[in-house]
Amino acid sequence: MKLKIGSFPVEQVRFGEVDGYQDGILTIQKEAALAYLRECDDHITELDIIIANPGDDTRIVPVIETIEPRCRTDGRTLFPGVTGPVASAGEGELKALRGCCVTVVGKYWGSFGDGVIDMGGEGARHTHWSKLINICLVGDTDEEFERHEQQKCNHALRWAGHRFAEYLGKIVRELEPLQLEEYDFTPVSEKARQNNGLPNVALVLQPQSQMEIPGYNDLWYGWDLNKFLPTFVSPTEVMDGAMISGSFMPASSKWSTYEMQNFPTIRELFAEDGKHLNFVGVILSMLNVAMDQKERAAMMVVNLAKNLGVDYAIVTEEGYGNPDADYVRCQAVLEQAGIGVVGISNECTGRDGFSQPLMTLDSRLNALVSTGNVSELNHLPPCKTVIGNLEALNRDGMSGSWGYDDKLGKSAREDGSVIMEDNNWFCGDHISGLSLKTMAEF
Amino acid sequence: MKTVVCYINQFFAGIGGEEKAYQEPYIQEGCVGPVQAIQAALEDAQVTHTLVCGDNYMGSDTEKAVARILELLEGHVPDLFIAGPAFQAGRYGLACGTICQAVQEKFSIPALTSMHPENPGVEMFRQKVIIFQGGKGAVKMRADVQTMIRFANKLLSGQPNEGAEAEGYFPRGCRHEKFLEDKRENTAAYRGVQMLIRKMHGQPYRTELAIPAPEQVPIAPAVSDLSHAVVAMVTSGGIVPSDNPDRIQSASATRWGRYDISGMERLEAGVFKTIHAGFDPTAANADPNVVVPLDAMRAYEKEGKIGRLHPYFYSTVGTGTTEAEARRMAQEIIPHLVADGVTAVILGST
Repeated sequence: MKLKIGSFPVEQVRFGEVDGYQDGILTIQKEAALAYLRECDDHITELDIIIANPGDDTRIVPVIETIEPRCRTDGRTLFPGVTGPVASAGEGELKALRGCCVTVVGKYWGSFGDGVIDMGGEGARHTHWSKLINICLVGDTDEEFERHEQQKCNHALRWAGHRFAEYLGKIVRELEPLQLEEYDFTPVSEKARQNNGLPNVALVLQPQSQMEIPGYNDLWYGWDLNKFLPTFVSPTEVMDGAMISGSFMPASSKWSTYEMQNFPTIRELFAEDGKHLNFVGVILSMLNVAMDQKERAAMMVVNLAKNLGVDYAIVTEEGYGNPDADYVRCQAVLEQAGIGVVGISNECTGRDGFSQPLMTLDSRLNALVSTGNVSELNHLPPCKTVIGNLEALNRDGMSGSWGYDDKLGKSAREDGSVIMEDNNWFCGDHISGLSLKTMAEF
Repeated sequence: MKTVVCYINQFFAGIGGEEKAYQEPYIQEGCVGPVQAIQAALEDAQVTHTLVCGDNYMGSDTEKAVARILELLEGHVPDLFIAGPAFQAGRYGLACGTICQAVQEKFSIPALTSMHPENPGVEMFRQKVIIFQGGKGAVKMRADVQTMIRFANKLLSGQPNEGAEAEGYFPRGCRHEKFLEDKRENTAAYRGVQMLIRKMHGQPYRTELAIPAPEQVPIAPAVSDLSHAVVAMVTSGGIVPSDNPDRIQSASATRWGRYDISGMERLEAGVFKTIHAGFDPTAANADPNVVVPLDAMRAYEKEGKIGRLHPYFYSTVGTGTTEAEARRMAQEIIPHLVADGVTAVILGST
């Protein structure tokens, strides 16, 4: 499977009379874009587009999703089974607006899995998003059934984000990209014929699937990953929109759709493919909550790996806490089967740093990359501009903030300053591989 | 200007050695002995007082000693408390750890000390107190003070802590996140793939989260022919000649003893006793053979059930003793056993 991604670097985003891209400047005809998105979903009651640039004294909250604006040159829908009918992904050509992202923001209301982005100041280093131009899609909906729920599907706004990403991507559909990336994924049997003597490496992905009720989990071609069993897939499918992010999981431990489209660990494995290793593909697993589900998934991952002739694997989870059981168990049984593993995830060592870093431990895990601590406390000064609603931090059960604490007070104070845990940074621990954080003994 | 109070023992205070080890705590203005080196290394802070206490006083009457020291500190509470360096001196290390922990808890101020890795104070206090990795003895005073005070200066001026390894103190089991420079080589994705490649090639790599391996010693195979076996007795039950000639500690032991039993049929009460502080000694003192079963082994020897009994028994105290110390002591004992051709050991526990 060969996937080509043509890159269009975006250095500035502005509103104008006509959609266009020239010399790094993306122009959006705002009213037309908003009209299109409202027309696609009549549950949207309010919608606006606001640009936030790197370095701005701006805080964005509650952030629901980030997506890279892209389109398929053959007209196939960008996210099969989500923004259009189910269609094959992994082969063909994409065009991508680079250096920017669609950032979906609740205008008034947040939920457990939503997060914070600071574009400038001390908070900026906590997310990758502060380095990008955030094309914020800020809105509200008539989804009254979940208005006051801690867990929200955020369906209308998330889908609007995915549609908007494709809408923007289409601006460059007919243009020549400045750069072309190629991801050529050789079939496993073909790789075996080449017999180059390099070890076979698979990437085991454990995307978020803990919610039993549909509507909250990551989707695979539109299919809820809670009703899924480990499957062998092409890394190019992941990068070509087969998977989208969900709404459940503390924000800093999530993989956003942007991260799936650009999955950093997949890219690094491609970079080494044929040099130090044979990248034989992705074993797509999940993170269900029941013990037998965890054990079944681990067994199936190991058997897939064995039957594919995998020698080594990288395992990574979208989450912490309960999912650590899947993350640790999967690695332990792979090691037991003689398949050497590196694990990539974050830790939860508590505000004082003394808690057990993963929910379960197994001494067979001997090569782990740590991407951050969900429970670090952040003291953040007020920002000049807030996109969204700061009150969501206090009111809506976001995972890293609170409305009352007898010692610390509430998270969002009247003067706009904030105290919150790392849990709240949107994808802040960047477990997908973007993380520039590690853990150390202090 | 920020203030510092230091703690040293009787030896470093220059008032005496063992004979002054029961010295009660006292406080003195300014620097005493090695505290001058600490003052010299401090950038913008003043050592206002030095506390002195005898190691044995602290070790034997800990509660009283700590209470007295905390009392002496009232009115002189500094920004930072420094104890030692204690080097490899076990009792001094325990004293430094004890007082650092107490001062931290009572006054909510940071406390630092420094010890050699084999000082039992490290294992006992590393999770509670910042202990810098120090040398074996006072010859390392300058270097140890430099390392510790480099960090003290940072702490006092509000500069960030770079982490246990970078600063030179023992890990406390306290894990926090750390930001790396923004470049591809530092991303988790790159780190993960490169770690895997090193793992593949059997090259050294460093896991970012070390999971402690439960260390298990396999059970030794059965002795096939006891009638020719040379059997030795080793115990962590603290049985020693009544005057404890090797001065084995009652807890957190770092010393062991080797005692001649040739010609003895049993260990007589009054001649031997236990100095173990972790169990009720009444039964063992009344009959030390309940811990080191010399009487039973002599009987087996006569019956021909065993070949012969090794002419010494070996003893230390197990309570509070670190795995590292226990391992070291075993390694010191083993050559004696091997030299006499010992083929089986009975480890009497308590």
